[in-house]
Amino acid sequence: MRLGRRNRQGGARHDRTDRCVADLVGALGPERVRADGAARHLASADASMFSDGTAGPVCFPDSTEHVQAVMRVAASHDRAVLPRGAGSGLSGGAAPLGDPIVVSTTRMNRVLEVDAEDRVAWVQPGVVNLDLSRQVAPLGLHFAPDPSSQQVCTIGGNVANNSGGPHCLAYGVTSAHVLAVEVVLSSGEAVVLGGLDAEPSGYDLRGAFVGSEGMFGIATKIAVRLTPDPESIKTLLLSFDSVADAAATVGAVIASGLVPAAVEMMDQRCVAAVEDFVQAGYPREAAAVLLIEVDGLSRGVEADTRKVAEIGRAHGGNVRVAADEEERALLWKGRKSAFGAIARVAPDYYLHDTVVPRSKLVEVLKAVYEIVDRHDLVAVNVFHAGDGNLHPLLAYDSRQPGANERVAAAGQEILEVSLAVGGVLSGEHGIGVEKRDFMEFQFTAADLEQQALLRRSFDPHCRLNPGKVLPSAHSCADVASLSASRPDGVWG
Amino acid sequence: MTDSLGLLGVDQAELDSCVACGLCLPHCPTYRVTGADTHSPRGRIALMRVVDEGIAPLSDEIVESFDSCIQCRACETACPGDVPFGHLLEATKEFVETTQRRAPWWLKLGLRGLTRPRLLRFVSSSLAVAQRLRLVPSRRMGIPERLPVRRRALRPTGDDVWLFTGCVMDAWQRDVHLATKEVVEATGTTVRPTGDAAPCCGALHTHAGLGDDARKLAARVISALDGDNAILVNSAGCGAALKDYGRLLDSDEARAFSERVLDVHEWLADRIDQIEMPDAQARTGGRVAIQDPCHVRHVQGTHMAVRRVLEPFVSELVELDDEGMCCGAGGAFSLVQRQLALDVRDRKTAAIDRAEADVVVSANPGCSMHLAAAGHAVRHPVELIAEALRSR
Ligand SMILES: Cc1cc2nc3c(=O)[nH]c(=O)nc-3n(C[C@H](O)[C@H](O)[C@H](O)COP(=O)(O)OP(=O)(O)OC[C@H]3O[C@@H](n4cnc5c(N)ncnc54)[C@H](O)[C@@H]3O)c2cc1C
Ligand code: SF4
Ligand code: SF4
Repeated sequence: MRLGRRNRQGGARHDRTDRCVADLVGALGPERVRADGAARHLASADASMFSDGTAGPVCFPDSTEHVQAVMRVAASHDRAVLPRGAGSGLSGGAAPLGDPIVVSTTRMNRVLEVDAEDRVAWVQPGVVNLDLSRQVAPLGLHFAPDPSSQQVCTIGGNVANNSGGPHCLAYGVTSAHVLAVEVVLSSGEAVVLGGLDAEPSGYDLRGAFVGSEGMFGIATKIAVRLTPDPESIKTLLLSFDSVADAAATVGAVIASGLVPAAVEMMDQRCVAAVEDFVQAGYPREAAAVLLIEVDGLSRGVEADTRKVAEIGRAHGGNVRVAADEEERALLWKGRKSAFGAIARVAPDYYLHDTVVPRSKLVEVLKAVYEIVDRHDLVAVNVFHAGDGNLHPLLAYDSRQPGANERVAAAGQEILEVSLAVGGVLSGEHGIGVEKRDFMEFQFTAADLEQQALLRRSFDPHCRLNPGKVLPSAHSCADVASLSASRPDGVWG
Repeated sequence: MTDSLGLLGVDQAELDSCVACGLCLPHCPTYRVTGADTHSPRGRIALMRVVDEGIAPLSDEIVESFDSCIQCRACETACPGDVPFGHLLEATKEFVETTQRRAPWWLKLGLRGLTRPRLLRFVSSSLAVAQRLRLVPSRRMGIPERLPVRRRALRPTGDDVWLFTGCVMDAWQRDVHLATKEVVEATGTTVRPTGDAAPCCGALHTHAGLGDDARKLAARVISALDGDNAILVNSAGCGAALKDYGRLLDSDEARAFSERVLDVHEWLADRIDQIEMPDAQARTGGRVAIQDPCHVRHVQGTHMAVRRVLEPFVSELVELDDEGMCCGAGGAFSLVQRQLALDVRDRKTAAIDRAEADVVVSANPGCSMHLAAAGHAVRHPVELIAEALRSR
């Protein structure tokens, strides 16, 4: 893992891309290709702190045919290709290695077809997650996966990272809501994986594609399942004097047989940062707060709300139920802005993402606090407590000498603790470059070889998003194609 | 954190407060219509950073990224980290203007004209006559299609409050000032229009990177409006600019001045019960859609006051479903970046159409002209209030 301040390399660069750019312009038209330093610099990073390469020309296709044309030009120049959605990823998935042609999907942003009866929508990959839900709201439907970044991230990015969100506890992550994907392969061929039937025959290639982090192909159309809005929703805010009480409450709620729509936890420091931004009345003095949502038919929701409140109080919690939709929206706005609100604490952050068994939450959290203290860092914790998906956020100032190294060391120790108690590497942010070199901690060489084989069967030349996910020993031609073209920078 | 100054001369702590999370992107009108990172707040900040640190030269594409910003500041209200984008961009534009002098000559000439009220009124009336004779292509020039040839007089009634009259608005939309005065007086308050003594707030100069001109105008306005009575403003852009004099001039006098400035709706909201309400039949307007000027909603944060004040006087108030997205006017932006301004406006037009409104209200002269040019019936909120009061 290499941490560094976002992309500050400069330097001259001889432009071997001229002919390639000319071909791209020929295929797409000049208004859909940018090869200048400004555009390339900005396509060289996502929302993470990882960046090693620099974007080559940046393309803005608006159709499947455009994407196919880019793939063919890339093949003829033997160039790598990197799909890019909103660039909100946190694991460096959309941050280039080498100098790939970047395919930005932001102009492929149309909802193509909505079937309210079958609750299916065909969308282009650049449709913003929340825009889709807004657009189908009048039909009483929504797209269930709701990452905290849902106002900005694209459905294509959600599919590539198999993203989750607070409400995925009850409804399942992205994969459960994708029926079919039209994919442009590195050959330029377009294929449809999956289908609208309940049980499409043959292998579930759709399932393989979801979560492939831009390395199997570029999604150009996606059929998503739409979920009916619940008849009734209640949101409870529970505050506790200790993180252990909050964690015990989560365990007890789930053990009681309830399946809340969402169970989110924030610690004190996080609450403070969030409250400064939204002023939703989050209790600053509490050691931890839980945001629990129950939904369904009105009568059941009333009963579930009472039950959750009882369990919370039995664990010493203070309970507040959002009185109306406005209060509810404000509480969620706070939760969903938590990462950004961290800017109030320090100029840089590293957002971790691991999953541990729920029963180990308290133990792992204790270890996290101990690790960051020892490395003289500040940690803010905000996470999907219902499924044990931890998001320790390390706030720091990368200009302090040694800060990057301390963050990297603490990050690795947190991972090791999570894996030691039976957890996994990543809950929802993907592997990207961030966790690539840790894959060997979780998988055997044979496991990784199988993954590499799958990857090569989609993309034999390893042209798509090379160098990600799989550690170098398993990533076939990636290494060769990257070392062949280490660029110096975009301002040549 | 340091606040040392790099090449750009902006506060580096302010620059560093952006953690690149991207949550501002969907709220940015220019990113929404082009999908380019160079047209996004996060991208613009990243480009400020490379220029500031001397990593990249100030290329045409980088300048275009800054110039294509409408300065609506929607990214500020969206940003959970409180990044002061408006200040950063203003400082950046000033740096670009002082090092490269890029603002078009006709824009600078026009902006100078704003500070000379008599000349402005003369030019405006001449244009109005030319329009009647069909000698000017109003739409292409981006000016209202029927400028007033004559203006009704705006006479003071006392000294309780100032009514800031500004430049273009006084020349082109005097009726809005008359309506504002009428509504403020209905609360039993006397009004003194600022008139030619304080000819222009300098907002457009700040936005164009003409910092020296802006600071000179600010000093002139402050010395013209001494005393401690409130200064009421009915133009969103002017109000935001006057409230920012404290920061612009960084003096106690300027800060004290800014404290006195109030958006007229904000002032009225506290006094609405002093006005005798019309009965239901006298309410005006049919279905009235509220369009929040960015400098009301994202800068002054007084958009709820507009609703509170207007609600009792109109038959039906409806919200647009675009969460206060910019209309694309942006002061002189719609003249300088024509295509982008039109593309952004198309989104607003679609939202207005979805609301099936009979009339749109907007408390900013630039927005109302820009929207009127797209064929919408646009009024200032106080005009509808004044009409309801008259038919009481
Ligand atoms: C504040 C904040 C909160 C977040 N909260 C959550 C959260 O709660 N849950 C969660 O899971 N994630 C979260 N994320 C991470 C991120 O938003 C998600 O991973 C999101 O799905 C990325 O979408 P994007 O459009 O930004 O994709 P990008 O970052 O642009 O790309 C992500 C990956 O997808 C690939 N890709 C993009 N489009 C395509 C396509 N059309 N075809 C093939 N590959 C493609 C890229 O190559 C890259 O590997 C958060 C991020 C931020 C900044
Ligand atoms: S300006 Fe604010 S919202 Fe936008 S990327 Fe920076 S920190 Fe995030
Ligand atoms: S001020 Fe408006 S146009 Fe400029 S970056 Fe912010 S949101 Fe975009």
